[in-house]
Amino acid sequence: MIQFERRTETSGVWTTISFAVASLAGLAATAVLLASTGADVLQVFGALVKGAVGSPKALATTLVKATPLILTGLATVVAFRAQIWSIGQEGQVFAGAMGGYLGAQLLAGLPALLFFPGVLAFGIAGGMAVAWLSALLRNRFGVNEIISTVMLNYLAVYLLSWLLQGGPWGETGGTISYHQSPMLPDAAFLPALMGSSRLHAGVLLPFLAAAICALVMARTPLGFEIRGLGYNPEALRHKGVNIGRTVTLIMLSSGALAALAGAIELFGVTHRLRADNLIGLGYAGIIVGMIGGLSAWGTVLAGLFFGALASGAVYMRVLGDVPAALVPAIQGITLFLFLCAGVLARYRIVRVVVQ
Amino acid sequence: MTTALRVEGLTKRFAGMIANDDVNFDLLPGEIHCLFGENGAGKSTLSSCIFGFYRPDRGQIFVSGEPVHVGSPIDAIRHGIGMVHQHFVLVPEFTVLENIIVGTQRSGIGLKAADARKKLSRICESYGIVVDLDAYVWQLPVGRQQWVEILKALYLDARILILDEPTAVLTPGESRILFNIIGEMCARGLSIILITHKLAEVMQSNRVTVLRKGRVVATLKTSETSPDELVRLMVGRDVSFSVAKPALAPGEEVLAVEGLTARGHWGETVLNNISFSVARHEILGIAGVAGNGQKELFEVLCGVRKPDAGAIRLRGEDVAGLTPRALMDRGVGHIPDDRFREGLVPEFSIAENLVLGWQRSPKYRTGLMMDRRAIADLARDMIAQYQIAARDETVAAGKLSGGNAQKVIIAREFLHASGLILANQPTRGLDVGVIEYVQRQLLKKRGEGFAIVLASEELSDLFSLADRIAVMFKGEIMGIVDPRTTTIAEVGVLMAGGREGGRS
Repeated sequence: MIQFERRTETSGVWTTISFAVASLAGLAATAVLLASTGADVLQVFGALVKGAVGSPKALATTLVKATPLILTGLATVVAFRAQIWSIGQEGQVFAGAMGGYLGAQLLAGLPALLFFPGVLAFGIAGGMAVAWLSALLRNRFGVNEIISTVMLNYLAVYLLSWLLQGGPWGETGGTISYHQSPMLPDAAFLPALMGSSRLHAGVLLPFLAAAICALVMARTPLGFEIRGLGYNPEALRHKGVNIGRTVTLIMLSSGALAALAGAIELFGVTHRLRADNLIGLGYAGIIVGMIGGLSAWGTVLAGLFFGALASGAVYMRVLGDVPAALVPAIQGITLFLFLCAGVLARYRIVRVVVQ
Repeated sequence: MTTALRVEGLTKRFAGMIANDDVNFDLLPGEIHCLFGENGAGKSTLSSCIFGFYRPDRGQIFVSGEPVHVGSPIDAIRHGIGMVHQHFVLVPEFTVLENIIVGTQRSGIGLKAADARKKLSRICESYGIVVDLDAYVWQLPVGRQQWVEILKALYLDARILILDEPTAVLTPGESRILFNIIGEMCARGLSIILITHKLAEVMQSNRVTVLRKGRVVATLKTSETSPDELVRLMVGRDVSFSVAKPALAPGEEVLAVEGLTARGHWGETVLNNISFSVARHEILGIAGVAGNGQKELFEVLCGVRKPDAGAIRLRGEDVAGLTPRALMDRGVGHIPDDRFREGLVPEFSIAENLVLGWQRSPKYRTGLMMDRRAIADLARDMIAQYQIAARDETVAAGKLSGGNAQKVIIAREFLHASGLILANQPTRGLDVGVIEYVQRQLLKKRGEGFAIVLASEELSDLFSLADRIAVMFKGEIMGIVDPRTTTIAEVGVLMAGGREGGRS
């Protein structure tokens, strides 16, 4: 008889095998999904790869698409490692973009060296404000952060909707509302890297953020407390850690990272405030963080992978016949299988002799 | 005579660790057979295999001479095997009757309460168990709750009863009554497997099987052995039972508690007007059955629970209501009773746990970062000094045995505390060898001039360590006695709520 038995120590080889099998199974499931739509599977995969990494331009698109995903992924890592189940990344992305836009109005005219740090700080402050509300509700009234963050997501999304349509920030052409703000001035565009118009300087920030996250988590007293809080808050409370303050700090950090994603989208990609580019970045970040194993560098990898998928999907669609919903489907399949692999990695398969 | 139960060549492995190695065991009708051994010796694994919780890798179980397959507790019950767990599995909001018949119903949807009531009354009568079948379980004292568990097994026609540490939560008086009931059951031909740590209880059995590291060391007639021999067999070496306590004059007062009162979540009084003091070079023992306010008292003293009234003075300063952080900074060390929940982060390494609570201390930092080298060095020192059995300092604390985990906590608290140590059940569930070690460590701190508050459910602990013993019952201190002039029986009376009679 074959049985599963919990491992006392995880094995690196076995973990690698588990995730390799999961990746292959994901590929296979995607192929089946594609075949069912009547598409030429190999051609579609070829297009996907080409669109993701096939040219410098494709690579630039991959990086740009990965940037917000890595940041919201890191926001997830910071919170989930402490077992704070913040689902507020979505709203914080919106708050980040709105804060950034407000900053751009107030700081217009400053030299770039002051302007960009300034507007990003405005964006970050927006996300932190939303996150702080959830932390306050949890610490003061015991409101579960899952509930409060989801509710605040709606608030942030609809606040933007109002601001753009009928509110003060909407762009109106005569009587038509376009559900977006007017274009920012050229001076408010994040500078381009390597002459490419697409590749903005903001793509460097997720890597910097990941490095800081990894360092804080592994080496600082705060990281010690975040990890400890996730494992055993009761022991931390007994050993003098102020749980409420730590929760607030974690929520604020998580909110700041997610908000940065929104602000970078605004100044690096859309250059005007609009919702459609922001929608789903926060929720996708939860998937990215989970697939990244709630580690900072794992999240970078997962974010790059999803960025590549998104970039490849743009190219793939040119082929026609491929439903646009394929990419979120692949994301879902990958998450599901990776979660399975994560469980599998903790078990060993044993043969049991029954008398 | 056919055996009631026989186990042959039972072997059980867990993830490469052998928990039971070729165990042979037999149980005669009408016998109390004790399983005796340290934690991790394989007592629980053996009884869990007999009751069908685990499936043995090898070996055969016979009931009344017939080979049987016990694949689950349902099989075990079918073969007349019952088990009473250390932690009861009762629904407090149900009555005794409801608790027994719900989930033990064999067929049909209706509860057939009348039939059950008749059968249970008969059982109670024949074994001398006095319990109101219509009382709600939450109304019953802990000792009576255990009877309900026993009743449940008898109601299911158990002929073989496994009792896992049955007296862990009982007063000495309640334990005596339990053993009367056990005696009555044996007289009627039932067989009892008794799992216990306590020598006094072992000596009331007919036979005893000593386990060490998963193997049977010996099976002896109790009348032909002695406590000393049993301990030697259990540990594999001689253990000195009494730690020498040097006479020391108490120094100046360190901690003074006056009129301390605290209420629980529902406004019920959990600590009522508690007053005591502890001085340098002094150990104040806190006796009492679990759940009589000891935990709440320690929570208030270490700052995780806020008192509602009263004063706590630490070296003259009123510290009532201060945070755990503030108290730690004032030199208070705390050894909590639930070591894996309150004392350690099981996923953290030994090294990380040794600095838990002091992670921000400049001692363990270089700039903004934690000083990994200094922490590792410290951990290696502590592992050597406290003889913590672990490969190295990176082992997760959750992988340690209870005794080694406790040593990590003790090492951390002793390292950072100055002046006052609060120890709640520091020897609970530990092996004899480690208990002796912990006791000696506490006496060493007493010698260094610490004041120590020590709560223990083991009166032997308190009588060998404490300079004075305060007895708690339902959140109150019933009396503070001098162990040199008091007997265990007298303390037992106070533990059950009796007042100190005519003594001052």
